[in-house]
Amino acid sequence: MAIGTLAVQRKVSLSEPLWVRILLISIALIFLVLFLFFPLLIIFTQAFDKGWAVYLASISDPDALAAIRLTILVAAITVPLNAIFGVAAAWSITKFRFKGKNILITLIDLPFAVSPVIAGLVFVLLFGGQGLFGEWLFQNDMKIIFAVPGIILATMFITFPFVARELIPIMQSQGSSEEEASVLLGASGWKTFVHVTLPNIKWGLLYGIILCNARAIGEFGAVSVVSGHIRGLTNTLPLHIEILYNEYQFTASFAVASLMSVAAIVTLILKNFFEWKMNNGIGESV
Amino acid sequence: MIQLTDISKNFGRYQALKHINLDIPSGELVALLGPSGSGKTSLLRIIAGLEAADEGVIHFEEQATNDYGQQVGFVFQHYALFKHMTVFENVAYGLKVKKRKERLPKQKIREKVQELLQLVRLEEFADRYPSQLSGGQRQRVALARTLAVEPKILLLDEPFGALDAKVRKELRRWLRRLHDEVSVTTIFVTHDQEEALDVADRIVVLNEGVVVQEGTPDEVYHHPNSPFVYNFLGDVNLFKGRLERGKLHQGLCEWEISGDLERQSEAAVGFVRPHDLLITRDLTVKDSVPAWITYIQAFGKSVKIELKRQDSDEYLEAELSREQFNELQLQKKELVYIKPNQLHVFTPDDYSI
Amino acid sequence: MASVQQARQHRSLPGFGLTLGFTLFYLSILVLLPLSMVFVKSSGLSWGEFLGVVTEKRVMASYRLSFGTAFTASVINLVFGILIAWVFVRYHFPFRRLLDGLIDLPFALPTAVAGIALTTLYAEQGRLGQFIPMKIVYTPIGITIALVFIGLPFVVRMVQPVLQGLEKELEEASYMMGASRLQTFRKIIFPEILPAALTGFALTFARALGEYGSVVFIAGNMPMKTEITPLIIMTKLEQYDYAGATAIAVVMLILSFILLLCINGLQWWTSRKILEN
Repeated sequence: MAIGTLAVQRKVSLSEPLWVRILLISIALIFLVLFLFFPLLIIFTQAFDKGWAVYLASISDPDALAAIRLTILVAAITVPLNAIFGVAAAWSITKFRFKGKNILITLIDLPFAVSPVIAGLVFVLLFGGQGLFGEWLFQNDMKIIFAVPGIILATMFITFPFVARELIPIMQSQGSSEEEASVLLGASGWKTFVHVTLPNIKWGLLYGIILCNARAIGEFGAVSVVSGHIRGLTNTLPLHIEILYNEYQFTASFAVASLMSVAAIVTLILKNFFEWKMNNGIGESV
Repeated sequence: MIQLTDISKNFGRYQALKHINLDIPSGELVALLGPSGSGKTSLLRIIAGLEAADEGVIHFEEQATNDYGQQVGFVFQHYALFKHMTVFENVAYGLKVKKRKERLPKQKIREKVQELLQLVRLEEFADRYPSQLSGGQRQRVALARTLAVEPKILLLDEPFGALDAKVRKELRRWLRRLHDEVSVTTIFVTHDQEEALDVADRIVVLNEGVVVQEGTPDEVYHHPNSPFVYNFLGDVNLFKGRLERGKLHQGLCEWEISGDLERQSEAAVGFVRPHDLLITRDLTVKDSVPAWITYIQAFGKSVKIELKRQDSDEYLEAELSREQFNELQLQKKELVYIKPNQLHVFTPDDYSI
Repeated sequence: MASVQQARQHRSLPGFGLTLGFTLFYLSILVLLPLSMVFVKSSGLSWGEFLGVVTEKRVMASYRLSFGTAFTASVINLVFGILIAWVFVRYHFPFRRLLDGLIDLPFALPTAVAGIALTTLYAEQGRLGQFIPMKIVYTPIGITIALVFIGLPFVVRMVQPVLQGLEKELEEASYMMGASRLQTFRKIIFPEILPAALTGFALTFARALGEYGSVVFIAGNMPMKTEITPLIIMTKLEQYDYAGATAIAVVMLILSFILLLCINGLQWWTSRKILEN
C-alpha cells in the first residue's frame, strides 16, 4: 500500500478536522456578532431612526456642543499629563535598578482595579463640601467638585496607568544599551531621550496615548460622581448621553452616542495601525 | 528499509525537493547532509509525516500499519520539551497518551521511564524541569522521550546544532553507541560535514532539493562525484588548467590525476585538500610551484599554512602534521615550492550535477 | 575590583532622580493621597457602625449580585475568550482581520454608549430581545451581558500572543508520540495558555466588579434585585451619606487590592513562562 496517501492524512491530523474548525469558527462568529457587532450596529440604526434632520439637530444642540467642548478640554489636559508621567515612570522603572520597583509597578496599576465610582468618590472626599480641603476651598471661593477641575482630576485618575503600562514592557525588552552608547558618546540625558529612546518607543507611546484618550473621552462613572450634571457647564459627552436617554430622547441620545462610536472606531483603526508599526519595527531590528 | 520514490515538495513557488529517490536500509545510521536550504529538513519532515509530499511515495519495510505514528520517532532541533512537565513526565508522555487498552499499567510505565532515563544517564534528574537542565541534558531527554514509544525509525533534526562544541562531540559518540545498542534505523539531518563523517554509516548529500551523492563516509569523502560535494566536505585548493591524457596541465606543470584518465577538457579544475598539498624547499622537485608563506597557524595537532603563489598571486592552504612541520622548520615570508599530491579533477560537465 | 564597580556606576544613565521623583510625586498626589482618603474617612466610623453599614441587607444583596454577575461574566469570557483567540490565531476565514481589530471595541467605546446600546438591543421589544423568550433587561442576565461586553477583550488579548508564540514543534512532538489532537490540546496547549487565560479572567473580574457605566442602564437598579455595589455607593453619595458610601468603598477597595495582587502574581507566572521559552 502506498504510504504517500497516509502521509497526507497525517498532515491533516496535526490540525483539527474540518467540521471541528467550522464549528469553532461559527461559535466565535456568533458570539462576536451578538456581543460586538449588533451593539455597534444598533447605535447607528437608532441614531438615524428619524432621519438626517433630527440627527443633525441632536448633535448641533447647544448643550451637545458644550458637552463636546468640555470633553475635548478634559482630554486635552488629561492625556498630555498622563503621557509625560507614563514616559517618566517607564524611564525610571526600566533604565535603573532600585528597591521596591515591583511595588511601584503595582501601584501604577492601581487605578485599573478601582471602580470608577470610587475614583470619583475619593475626590469628593478630598475636595467636596465636607471634604478635607472643602472648607478652605469654600473660603477661597474655589470649586473643584461639581466643576470642571473635579472632572479633570477624576479622569486623570482613571486614565493614569495607560501610557506607563504600555511603555514599560516595550522599554524593558529594548534594554538600555543604545542609551548607554549615546551617553558614552557624550550626549546629554535629554538629547539621548529625544534622539535614541523616543524613536524606538514612538509607536508604543502613540498606542498608549490613543487608548488613554479613548478612556478619557468616554469615562462615565467617575465623572458622573464629581460632575453635578450641570447642563452646558459640567456635562461631558457620556453624561449628556445619559441625560438624553433618561429623558426618553432616545434618538438624540443615540445620535450623540454615534459620534462617540465613530471616535471609538477611529481609535481602533489608529490602534491597529500603531500596533502594526510596532510589530514591523521589531521585525526590522531583529 | 525505507524507500522514497520520486518525492517532490514545493513551498509556494519554491521547489524544496525535486524528485528524490532514496533507499535507506534497516538498522543503519544515515546522515542527510547539506547546506541550509538544501531541503534536508523538509525531507526528514516528510519521512516523519509532519509534512506531506506533493508528489511521490514512501514505502516502509513491513507494510503500512495504522499506528504509523508509533513507528517513527522524531527529535526536534530545539528539542520541543514540554516545559510544564518534569523530565519524568516528558519521557512518560508517549506511554500515557496511548489508548486505554494499549496503555501499560502505571507501575510498568514508571519502570520503563526509569530504564530509559538510565539509558540516557539522567536517572537523578527525573524530577527536574527542562529549564533546569543544560543543553546536552535536554537533548538526551528528548531522545529518551522519543525512544519511549519504541519507534522503528528514529529521525533527528540537527541533533547537535544547538550545543557547544565540546558537548557536541561527546553526544555524537554517545548517539553512535546508542544506535548500536538499540538498533533502530536512524536518520539525522546536519549541515556539519565533520559530524556526518564521524557518526554516520551512510551519508546522503543534498543540495538545492536534489540528492547529489550518497555513500559511506569514505566514499563520499574520498570519491566526491562533484565539485559541490568536494567543496562541502572540507577545505579545498583549486588548480585550474587543461585536462589532457590523464594529466592536468597548468603553465609548464603537469600533474597526475585520479579517476577517469580518458577525459579531455580545456577548462578543468583540480581540487586538492590542504593535507594533500606537498611543501618543499627543494626547487628541483618536478612540477612544483613557488609560493610565499603568508601565515602559519601552529597550534593543535596539525599546522595550517597559508601560502600565496608567486606566479598567480592565488592563495592556497596547506595542512601539515606537527612532525612534518617541525622537520621543515618553515618560517613566515619564506619562499617554498608546493605540489598537489592528490588531484581530483572536475570538468564543466561536473558542475551541472 | 573597586575600579570595575566604579566603571559600572559610570555607565548608568542620567535622569534617575528626576524621573523617579516625578513619578512618585505624581502617583502620590493623584492616586495614593486620594485613595487614602477612603480609609481616613471610614476611620471616622466606629467598628460597629462600619459593620452595620457594610452588612446591611440591601448592601449584602448587592455584593451577591455584583459578585455573581461579575463571576459569571468572567467565566463566559474565559471560555469564549480562549475560543476566539484560538480561532483567530489558528484558522483563516473571511473578515478575520476585521473582527480581530474589532475585539478591542469595548475598550474604545464609552461604557455609557455600550450601556444604552445593549439595553436597546436586548429590551423586550428590542431588535434581539424580541426573539429571546425570557426577560433580559432589568435582570441579572442583562447585567451579565453588559459585563461580558466590557470584559470581552481581556482574555482574548492575553491568550492570543501566547498562542502565537507557541512553538509548533511542541504539538508535533506530542503528535509524533501518538497523542490525539484532544490530548495534545489538554496536556500541551492548555497548560501553556492557562496562566495567560487566568490573568485575563482576573482582569475581567476586577473590571466587572467595579463597572458602572454600562451596567446602570441595563440593570434597572431595583434594590435587592438588580442593584450593583457601585450603584449603592452612588446612591449614598447622592443622599450625601458620605460615611456610608466610604464604608462600602473600603470593602470594594480591599477586594480590588486582593484581586490586583492575584493578577500581578499571575502575570509574574506568565512572564516566567515566556522567559523560559
